Amino acid sequence: MAERISLEVPATLSALSTVRMVLGGLGARLDFSLEDLDDLFLAMDGILQAALEDEELDDLRVLAIVDGASLRVSAGAFRSARLRDQVALTPGDCIDLCTLLRRLVDDVVVEEEEQDGSFSVVIVKNRSETAA
Amino acid sequence: MSGRDDRRVNDPLDLEALPGQARRVPDDDEESEGSEARQGGPSADPKGRGKDDSEKLDQYLLRRYHLHGDRKAREQLITMYLPLVRSLARRYASRGEHFDDLVQVGAIGLIKAIDRFDLDRGVELTTYATPNIVGEIKRYFRDKGWSVRVPRGLQELNIRLNKVIDELVPKLQRSPTINELAEAANATPEEVLEALETSQAYNSVSLQASPNGESGEEDAGLIDYLGGEEEAYDTMEDRTTLAPGFAKLDKRERYILHLRFFEGLTQSQIAERVGISQMHVSRLIRRSLEKLREEIGDLDNPLPPRSSDDAR
Repeated sequence: MAERISLEVPATLSALSTVRMVLGGLGARLDFSLEDLDDLFLAMDGILQAALEDEELDDLRVLAIVDGASLRVSAGAFRSARLRDQVALTPGDCIDLCTLLRRLVDDVVVEEEEQDGSFSVVIVKNRSETAA
Repeated sequence: MSGRDDRRVNDPLDLEALPGQARRVPDDDEESEGSEARQGGPSADPKGRGKDDSEKLDQYLLRRYHLHGDRKAREQLITMYLPLVRSLARRYASRGEHFDDLVQVGAIGLIKAIDRFDLDRGVELTTYATPNIVGEIKRYFRDKGWSVRVPRGLQELNIRLNKVIDELVPKLQRSPTINELAEAANATPEEVLEALETSQAYNSVSLQASPNGESGEEDAGLIDYLGGEEEAYDTMEDRTTLAPGFAKLDKRERYILHLRFFEGLTQSQIAERVGISQMHVSRLIRRSLEKLREEIGDLDNPLPPRSSDDAR
């Protein structure tokens, strides 16, 4: 059965450290390699920094779901149309957020919150096959 | 007649005016001896060459370089003084940076000292070079160093982890897990995670740095100063070098980003190809992305494909 961990932190860059620590602990339990974790951290940092630069947020809501050898992380609630478009783009010839996410994690989707029009960016990171 | 020529006429250590062993140009063996003599400081000379002789040799080589443009004399001076650089770098080796990186940074200070040395000031090269080398290392720590106070225990664990990772990657032929690191470093997984998180603090100073804070000569890659450049640095695809913000990155950073995000290599594979540690690759990737973010505002500002006709 999947395990769910939810986290609500202030929408500040310094709070990213808390998010990384929690995700790191979950990744360690899944026997993620150091590189897997680093990719996950870079992806989360990319999403959250882009969001913070784009809109005024009070809090960040992070939901992590541990399922088998996968970690599914949802971050929100965002309203920036630019962020939404970026995540949905096809990787191009430069290192934009879209290219970063596609390279760093196994899946990226946008989940709409129908009730208030906000959305979350969901990333999935699987334990790499070469990990222990 | 220029001042340069005037000095040549009065050069008491010109090649032809050097009688005896102490003043002739050393052969390779002697050069090696001179290097060893400088272990822990150039004035020590267990191989028998006196301090005065060493100083005369330094002066001779400095004059060859500054007055006659002799690049070999410059290279010889660099080689002779590298043990001094290592000795000074060792003092800072416990602060979380790789010793080899500190030696390279210190070598830049040495090269600057040799290039800027004023023959007319009458000081020894050691006297002039030491503060230059230390200054370069300190500047490196100031620019790249800890931006927040990190407990000593965590800093030490971080240093230990760097070594453990360097040992485990080739042994396991893959990136180690947190549990493997914890076992090898004699720490708990929580401590390992906390220590790794401190390495974020180690580099996070660049988040607040001004866009110009790390540009120009001071931030040029070490590869720009030392040794031959990796040919592959120049053969990466144009799209990487043309992307926005990339002008802010040095060649090594561009190359590493290219390998990671366009070639799809893992950090370990990049580390092996570039010849640095996986942790160092991780730091360089993070730092490079931060530079890009500073330069182009944020990363969700895409460049139109290069082939696009309406590229702006």
